[in-house]
Amino acid sequence: MLIMRHELLLIAITVILLIVEIFLPNTQKHKIILPAILLMAAVTVIGFFPGTPGVLFGGMFQSTQLTMMFKNILNIGVLIVFIQSVDWLKQDQNKEKISEFFLLMLATLIGMNYMISSGDFLMFYIGLELATIPVAALAAFERLKEKSAEAGVKLIFSSALSSGILLYGLSMIYGTTGTMYFADVAPLITGVPLQVLAFIFFFAGMAFKISLVPFHLWTADVYEGAPVNVTSYLSVISKGAAVFIFTIILYTVFSKIAVMWSDLIYVVTILTITVGNLFALRQQNLKRFLAFSSIAQAGFILLGVIGQSQLGMTTVIYFVLVYIFSNLGAFGVVGIISNRTGKENINDYDGLYRTNPNLSLVMMLALFSLAGIPPLAGFFGKFFLFTAAAKQGYYILVLIALINTIISLYYYLLVIKAMLLNNSDHPIAKIRSDNYTRLGLLICVAGMVIIGFTSSIYEMVFNLSFGLY
Amino acid sequence: MTTLQSIPIQYYLVFCSLLFSIGVVGVLIKRNALVILMSIELMINSINLLLAAFSAYTNDPAGQIFVFFIMVVAAAEVAIGLAIVVLIYRTTHTIDINVLNKLRW
Amino acid sequence: MFTEYIFHFLSILSLFSAVMVLASKKPIHSVLFLTLAFFAIAGHYVLLNAQFLAVVHVIVYAGAIMVLFLFTVMLLNLNKDEQSQKPMWVKIMAVIAGGMLMLTLIGILRKYDIQSVQDPMTTQIGLVKNLGKILYNDYFVPFELSSVLFLTAMVGAVLLGKKEQI
Repeated sequence: MLIMRHELLLIAITVILLIVEIFLPNTQKHKIILPAILLMAAVTVIGFFPGTPGVLFGGMFQSTQLTMMFKNILNIGVLIVFIQSVDWLKQDQNKEKISEFFLLMLATLIGMNYMISSGDFLMFYIGLELATIPVAALAAFERLKEKSAEAGVKLIFSSALSSGILLYGLSMIYGTTGTMYFADVAPLITGVPLQVLAFIFFFAGMAFKISLVPFHLWTADVYEGAPVNVTSYLSVISKGAAVFIFTIILYTVFSKIAVMWSDLIYVVTILTITVGNLFALRQQNLKRFLAFSSIAQAGFILLGVIGQSQLGMTTVIYFVLVYIFSNLGAFGVVGIISNRTGKENINDYDGLYRTNPNLSLVMMLALFSLAGIPPLAGFFGKFFLFTAAAKQGYYILVLIALINTIISLYYYLLVIKAMLLNNSDHPIAKIRSDNYTRLGLLICVAGMVIIGFTSSIYEMVFNLSFGLY
Repeated sequence: MTTLQSIPIQYYLVFCSLLFSIGVVGVLIKRNALVILMSIELMINSINLLLAAFSAYTNDPAGQIFVFFIMVVAAAEVAIGLAIVVLIYRTTHTIDINVLNKLRW
Repeated sequence: MFTEYIFHFLSILSLFSAVMVLASKKPIHSVLFLTLAFFAIAGHYVLLNAQFLAVVHVIVYAGAIMVLFLFTVMLLNLNKDEQSQKPMWVKIMAVIAGGMLMLTLIGILRKYDIQSVQDPMTTQIGLVKNLGKILYNDYFVPFELSSVLFLTAMVGAVLLGKKEQI
């Protein structure tokens, strides 16, 4: 029981919320917000108590210190998303759907937790689907808006197609090895053509979920159309969990064909970082801008994956942790401004500092962290990623990534310039944010600053990680 | 005894590849959202049959269990997918995916 | 020889209906051809002696999923020709791409050789009794997890389908 406590606790609170929601009258739905956040906070706190690693159901479910830590990271992220969504959920058009929002979010979190802990491709697949299908419903949450429904349809189609491709890969792996368990498959991967093709299909399917170039086409549309809080969830939590399990599977199951997949990832990394950055340059809508910037960030994460060492996995997890706080901070600001004023374009942000100094300060910190400016955590995240790739001898790759960092600095600074320096005749009026929003942004800022200054977090991650060698 | 002769597994592999490719082509050429969803179902069915064939020929039940779960997931996926398609129809009165261009570069 | 004839018949039937799903102009014809393809695939399962899968396949696909599709087509009154088609060159490119994919797949799968060949006609693993035992012992967690998946699919579908009351 204790081995599966993260998942069981989440299922428990999902059921509790489901029962509470039945007894709430239609006009009182907003009363579920506080219990939902408190329960989630309780689960997050309980998750930090030391647990016992172990294997359940004959290797189907495996829990290690590493997966427990990553589940805690995801819990924190979801908690921040919950807190940030309150302002949006209290709007009139969403009032009746508040409990559905929490239920679907928690269900995806359960799916991710099982996906992370899976020791079998079947478990992995079910977890992956549970983590993606409800998100499509969430993306179409604002049903009356055409954009939102369109985001939902694009997300469900691309995710169905990608899981079809992924499944074809899995079926070929099953055909050549005769088993589905990670531990049994790994020694049987010998690199025969069928397994290579299977890996490519698997890679393509996962690349859709992590939105790597050239499988990124759905990303910008979905991110723009979906409600801001769902977008932040998609870009941070979903992506983080997928990257994590992707790294684990590459390092454990496909370790024998590492030479092959590192070549593949080499090309995809260059494409992802470059295309993500170049398209981010020309965006006017901040949500699209952050979508392409998150594609580029996914490319940076691959630098750690290609490192193939213990250092590589450490940097991937560390960067995801940093990225959660930075991106949620940026999306939190975009979200509150979009909810209150409906403005999402970069030039709407002209002169934001005059009217809303606090919000623009948070936004500035978040963008600096995403860009990798020294004192903030984002710098260390990127720096470690570069080290991991350089140690493996991928100097050209690191050079290209460095050039792209400079490009990315330019477009992040454009937004900051708009906020701080540009003058506008019609700046966004002063926004009085509620306590939930303030708390959410405060956690993000604290995370960005504290993680940068405490090396013990990095060391803890390093001790739990493992590599190919 | 009857002279039942088993079919070579290669037959199944070729047949499933054909079905999968037809599904992929369907996703690429059709503009009707419903038909695209149907093409994805075709792809998933070819995978199911492939898994079942591998499973039957190696006498290992894991593949057939996997097929069972894929069917479960496909049902859930179709339920949500069709709900969103109906939603699209309600707002735009068509399910032609070319209408879905509110979001552009 | 007899099973081989059945195999060829079912394969040609399902491939034909799969092509017709794409070639039909009206969505309702696509749905009906897809149902036919699903029945042919159910026949394949019977050939592999996967009886449990054959039954589940008919119930889930032909019974549930196709009814959902039919309902959507009927409710939305979509039974008219597609107004617009993708341009011809897109179609040709798509068919070429699909053909390349098919050639790659066949080329690689053709070389595939199985280690321990078991005659699928005599294998017993596809029976309900055997699969049930395994499903409720080894695969208990995914089974329970799929119930969560269904719960959320239900919540999601209701969320999306509910009439706006404001």
